[in-house]
Amino acid sequence: MIYSSELIKGTLKTIILKLLKENKRMYGYEITQTVKELTKGKIQLTEGALYPSLHALESEGILVTETEYIGKRMRKYYSLSVPGKALTNEKINEFSDFMETMRFLLDIKPAI
Amino acid sequence: MYCISDRQIDFILDDIRRNGIELEDLQLNLLDHVCCIIEQEFEGNGDFEQFYFSIRRRFYKTRLNEIEEETQSLLTFKHYYFMKKAMIISGVFSAFVLTLGIILKFLHLIGASACIVVGIGSFSLLFLPLMVTLRIREKQSVREKVLTLLGSLSAICVSLAILFKLQYWPGANMLGLVSIGILILLFLPVYFITGIRQPDAKVNTVVSSVLMITACGLFLSLARTPHSSLHLKRNQTAHYLRNEQLLKNERLTSNRLNPDAALIDSLCEGLKSVIIKQETGSQHPDWNVAVLSDDRSDVLNPNTPASEAVAELKQRISTYNRNVDAGHALPSAIPLFENNDDRTLPTLNDLVQIQLFLSQNQELK
Repeated sequence: MIYSSELIKGTLKTIILKLLKENKRMYGYEITQTVKELTKGKIQLTEGALYPSLHALESEGILVTETEYIGKRMRKYYSLSVPGKALTNEKINEFSDFMETMRFLLDIKPAI
Repeated sequence: MYCISDRQIDFILDDIRRNGIELEDLQLNLLDHVCCIIEQEFEGNGDFEQFYFSIRRRFYKTRLNEIEEETQSLLTFKHYYFMKKAMIISGVFSAFVLTLGIILKFLHLIGASACIVVGIGSFSLLFLPLMVTLRIREKQSVREKVLTLLGSLSAICVSLAILFKLQYWPGANMLGLVSIGILILLFLPVYFITGIRQPDAKVNTVVSSVLMITACGLFLSLARTPHSSLHLKRNQTAHYLRNEQLLKNERLTSNRLNPDAALIDSLCEGLKSVIIKQETGSQHPDWNVAVLSDDRSDVLNPNTPASEAVAELKQRISTYNRNVDAGHALPSAIPLFENNDDRTLPTLNDLVQIQLFLSQNQELK
């Protein structure tokens, strides 16, 4: 089952930040493939959602970039800035709290 | 893994650009992404272009430049947080500075005027515009955006009108009337008509409208009409002209002024000419028509001949008063010297008074 884009929309930035926290640097395609593999295809990030979010995070100073030439084309690697690392923990904690609240609201029993 | 050629890379990049992706960073990101997919999934024996177009189709719902539009939208949204912070900081700052200015005013301490100007100025020109920009962004319908804009514009005009009034700057009454006009003639009708149509908002709309009309009425009852302003200016001008006549009559019977007194008198005459010319456009206006106001005359604008003359006058009066007894001292604690208050009519009357003192002192010698 692939989750709908509405569910993913609000969590995309948190997903990106968490991945970059675990990995030193990643490029766009790598992010989409890693998410797909880790979630066994349940979450498939679209390019139309991923790249705007990456650009927005970069312009906010949360991500920093470095570029490398791969043959004739240029590859942009993203990594967390110093403020980005602090924000990542905040976002993860916030989302965790949100999940608890939603679980309570929707009366979902936690998986054992 | 397929090895993509330089020519194919150029083809993909041209196509991305042709489809409306203008941000260079985004072009390069998409190019790399597409190339990665092709390298992983293309087997090399099919039609490259057809395969590329099928890949490209995955990137959007209706057209490729949706990605650029979404990127631009998020980049603009980034400014939202900055503007929100700036709005809060400017609001707190203006409230604090205005409060400080009012306290200093009541305690007759220095800095009151500056604090009040900065407080009201930052409220009207920083806080309110930022607030209206953010509010408009949050509103959905065009009607709500227009209402927000009109209401805020009126609020900006009212606070600026109050500032102009406090500082005796010209145009205060006009600004106040414009703000009331926007509120009563534009904002209120739109607000009332759209609010009254919604059953759940009907009572609130009526109550708010009554409050707004009453507030405007209270505000207007304090304001002078243009007619009464003109009447007041005519009376005040006549008062000044009577003082000038008194001076003229005094000069007919008094002795010639000594050199020091003559210099002070000449400085007073010079300043009066400058002020009258600024006010009426002529050094010798037709007093049947011309009127003087209570607005600032700008003779205290730094580095102008008039401000230098004011400084010299103050210094010469101080020297003169050291050589006479208290009963014959010239007025020196006038608002022009003490409070940087160069309003036209009070300044002219004070200058005439100085000249009258000079004439009477000469007569008594």
